[in-house]
Amino acid sequence: MKTGARVAIWFVWLALIVALGWGVARHLQISSDLRDFVPPARTPDQKLLLDEIGKGPGSRLLLLAISGATEAQLADLSRGLDAALAHDPAFAHVANGSNDIADIASDLLPYRYLLSPTLDTHRFDAAYLHAQLQQRVEDLSSPAAPMLEPWLKSDPTLETLKLAQLWAPPHQPKLVDGVWFSNRDEALLVAETKAAGFDPGAQAAAIISLQKHFAALPGAAHTKLVISGPGWFGMQAARNTRAEADRFGTITTIGFVLMLLLAYRSTVPVVVTALPLLSGAVVGFALLALIFGHAHGITVAFGFTLLGVAQEYPLRVFSHRRVGVETSTCVRELWPLLATAIVSVCIAYLAFFASGVAGLQQLAVFTIGGLIVAGLCTRWLLPLIVPPAKRDMADTPGLTSAWHFLARLPRPRWLPWLVALVGVCVVAFAPGRFWQNDLSALTPVPKAELQRDARLRAALGAPDVRYLLVLRAPTAEGVLGLSERVTPAMHRLVTDHALDGFELPSRYLPSVATQKARQAKLPDAAELQAALHDAMQGLPFRPGVFAPFVADVEAARKLPPLTPAKFEATPLGARLESMLVDECGGSAVRADPHPSPPPLGEGGARSARAGGGNDALPLAGEEDNCWVGLGTLSGVNDPAAFAALAKQTRGAVHLLDLKASTESLIVAYRHRILVALGVAALLLCAAVTLALQSPRRALHVLGPMTLATLLVLMVLRAAGIPLSLFHLVSLTLAAGLGLHYALFFERRTGDEREDLRTLHATLVCVASALLVFGVLALSSVPVLRAIGLTVALGVAFHFSLSVLMAPHQVFPSPSGRGWPEGPGEGSGSSERSESTVPSPQPLSRGERG
Amino acid sequence: MQRSVLIAVVLALGAGSVFAETPTLAESLLAKMAKTPPVSTPFIQVSYRDVLDRPLVVSGTLRWLGGDRMERDIVKPFKETATIGDGELTVQRGGGEVHRMSLERAPQAGAMLSGFRALLGGDVSALEKDFTLSAQGGTAHWVITLTPKTSQLKQQLASILIDGRNEEPRCLTVRDRNGDSSITLLGAMATQGLRSVAPLESAVAARCRNSQ
Repeated sequence: MKTGARVAIWFVWLALIVALGWGVARHLQISSDLRDFVPPARTPDQKLLLDEIGKGPGSRLLLLAISGATEAQLADLSRGLDAALAHDPAFAHVANGSNDIADIASDLLPYRYLLSPTLDTHRFDAAYLHAQLQQRVEDLSSPAAPMLEPWLKSDPTLETLKLAQLWAPPHQPKLVDGVWFSNRDEALLVAETKAAGFDPGAQAAAIISLQKHFAALPGAAHTKLVISGPGWFGMQAARNTRAEADRFGTITTIGFVLMLLLAYRSTVPVVVTALPLLSGAVVGFALLALIFGHAHGITVAFGFTLLGVAQEYPLRVFSHRRVGVETSTCVRELWPLLATAIVSVCIAYLAFFASGVAGLQQLAVFTIGGLIVAGLCTRWLLPLIVPPAKRDMADTPGLTSAWHFLARLPRPRWLPWLVALVGVCVVAFAPGRFWQNDLSALTPVPKAELQRDARLRAALGAPDVRYLLVLRAPTAEGVLGLSERVTPAMHRLVTDHALDGFELPSRYLPSVATQKARQAKLPDAAELQAALHDAMQGLPFRPGVFAPFVADVEAARKLPPLTPAKFEATPLGARLESMLVDECGGSAVRADPHPSPPPLGEGGARSARAGGGNDALPLAGEEDNCWVGLGTLSGVNDPAAFAALAKQTRGAVHLLDLKASTESLIVAYRHRILVALGVAALLLCAAVTLALQSPRRALHVLGPMTLATLLVLMVLRAAGIPLSLFHLVSLTLAAGLGLHYALFFERRTGDEREDLRTLHATLVCVASALLVFGVLALSSVPVLRAIGLTVALGVAFHFSLSVLMAPHQVFPSPSGRGWPEGPGEGSGSSERSESTVPSPQPLSRGERG
Repeated sequence: MQRSVLIAVVLALGAGSVFAETPTLAESLLAKMAKTPPVSTPFIQVSYRDVLDRPLVVSGTLRWLGGDRMERDIVKPFKETATIGDGELTVQRGGGEVHRMSLERAPQAGAMLSGFRALLGGDVSALEKDFTLSAQGGTAHWVITLTPKTSQLKQQLASILIDGRNEEPRCLTVRDRNGDSSITLLGAMATQGLRSVAPLESAVAARCRNSQ
């Protein structure tokens, strides 16, 4: 084929990739909603968690601090930002300390006597009214008089003010110039986004909008706006990870190109080698877009990692080209082995489907689709654009010595046993946690930011993100009643310093029973008139001035009690809405429609501790408890102190530890992955055995893989690194690469030069993997470091063991100390045996020397 | 003193209009009144409210602590301490709990603060941010009128009048938009006390203007 035709095909191929990539990029939504990545909930608390994790009142809060100017300027900025965000549809609620009275919706004013707790302890009799009116006289000479005056005639007992105080945040920061300020002279604000906390796209959009509003304020240029909260952390983590990955990507790309030039002395591999991988990735994304419509961010990260195996395909082709032979011929010779590798790995990845987690199923679709396409491209497209070799890679200087070096390495037969024994011992007995269940450890927030978040949270009295108080009852009224009943106990917990503050649903809306009790205490018009007449004796009020008060009380006597639905229709409604959830109604869509077996192991223990299925409240009873009240807590100092509360209420009220519940989900999730990986391993063994048509040959391939994986685990355990999901995925990638090394070393060609080419290919592959992942291991981002370290270690171990455990024919050592056909790793075939296949005679030793 | 004599002479010649309506008079009056904090003066405040059928009288001490910090101690007929500063108004009655609120929500209190502070500190420019200033009269009796400029103030406040003689302010009259008003007697006027427990607004106003 002419060079021109090759270049043309190359261009068309590249254009197709770009076109498809562009199309996919426009349609595929990248989400990082963690709910995609955890298994369906099994306990009520897990179910609640999955609903709450994004929508909860705590996780949607952004804490804002403005600094770097005089107090007056900062206060102006605070007011400006407050006003701007109040009109931004991305935000549900903004507070800066200046607006709590305005918050009282006029719709709620008629209900003030039902909502305010005054009537619980007092009656509107002459004595109480006289005391109140006496105070109003004094109020009228205070500087605040003009503010109170408009309310006075209709609300002389100031119930409106009491509600405003009741609904104001429990711990308010100090007011400077009318707005909240921290002790460090920052103006403080709280903004609640409409978007869920773990919907990073929407969170980022809201944050960017917020930043734009701020930048547009006069005088904002020289000041600093600090944002904190789950949405911000999510955005930062994504940004940091991406930035670091990009930075390392550039370094490794340059290194990779240099290495290709060095290894092949040609520019062809440089311009061609990425095409199969890119094709696979683009098709993988297209499949995700077609099947799921969206992809989880972690899917993309994991998927790209796992697809890295495909990078080897073109490299193998380049190393195995021969002078004067069409590339297609060489590829055809390699294909059975490549196909074996691809099919085996794909079969293994099928196991991810069984996980039942959307994120992992996406991962399976992406990887399997990508690998197959990359393989097919290598087989049929690559030969069209790669010209025949100008030099044989077997002639690479130093390669023969390397081959001899490897051949002469001692291969003691006890080595696999020793590796297995030491590995198992270290993995089993090394101190330290085995698993990393903490999700946030995967994308950690810098310590300084965490400290700042804690400081702002404490200053603003903003609710804790980790803990929620869960109140369960069959009806909304039941939840509100429960909320009222536990309020005294909660106050006691605050007094005992078990927590700093709390907010229960009944703070906004008392139960109907309570409202009716208050209503019953309201005097009728005549009674109130008489009481007022007596109360006004000796006070300077104009007779008849309180007629609106009498009328309002009379109206309140006849009002139907305020219901959650009515309350939620008012501007304050959003606050109650996030605290009162109908699990069976609106959010039932999220619940697992299929009854699942009870959670296993740690997960079950944890969720039981979290209160979901404890003895006091049988699960069966909880089915009826459709309504859930969510109390926000701030500054939980002693989570254990809530146990008594849970006991008293027979579990209907309990502390929900979002972190522990999330971790219990992770445990359940990991359990599924481990089962899937176990199945994958079995499938892989079967596939390889079937392809090689010999259990012994399969053992040569699978033995080094298994032991190398064990060695990586051993090193990680010995280093005290708890294993996360990212380690598991990286181990899987390393095993995929190891499979290639072992398969190719196990191959019998009977041609020493072909063996040299195999070594060349493997060395290039190992070097490139070590380059890419070794650099990643230096990252400061734990996710990237986990992947980098695990894969780099894996590649090193897989290569070493593939060499050391390769069958006798591949590295025939001078003394015949090489491995017999069947290294006995649990096979019981440790006896020296002859090759089942007549092995072609290798070239004489003299020629090699 | 020569200048006061000059003013008196000019007024006597019936040429008072020469100085009338000129901001320079307001400025010069304010400049002359300027004092360094802390400053304190006794006061009597008489409030006329729509909801009341007789005026409300309280008395005590007003203090300017410097900057924008003011303190008002009511001693009679009840005890109350109100402080204004840092954009916040705090009120403590008797030994009870301290109530706080933003001055944003009580603009009159903020305006009163500006009035007092400007009076005591001679800070004309701060006053002119919120008010249009005008002055009338001469040494024996002058009036500075502050008319609110900002729409927020205009909603609730009609005007603030400061009556004075020589270098001493005597009365501060705050007129609300809704017709309510209060007159605060300062300094010697406050020391002299009221002649009636429920004085008519016109009588108190006349006392403020009285050039005796």
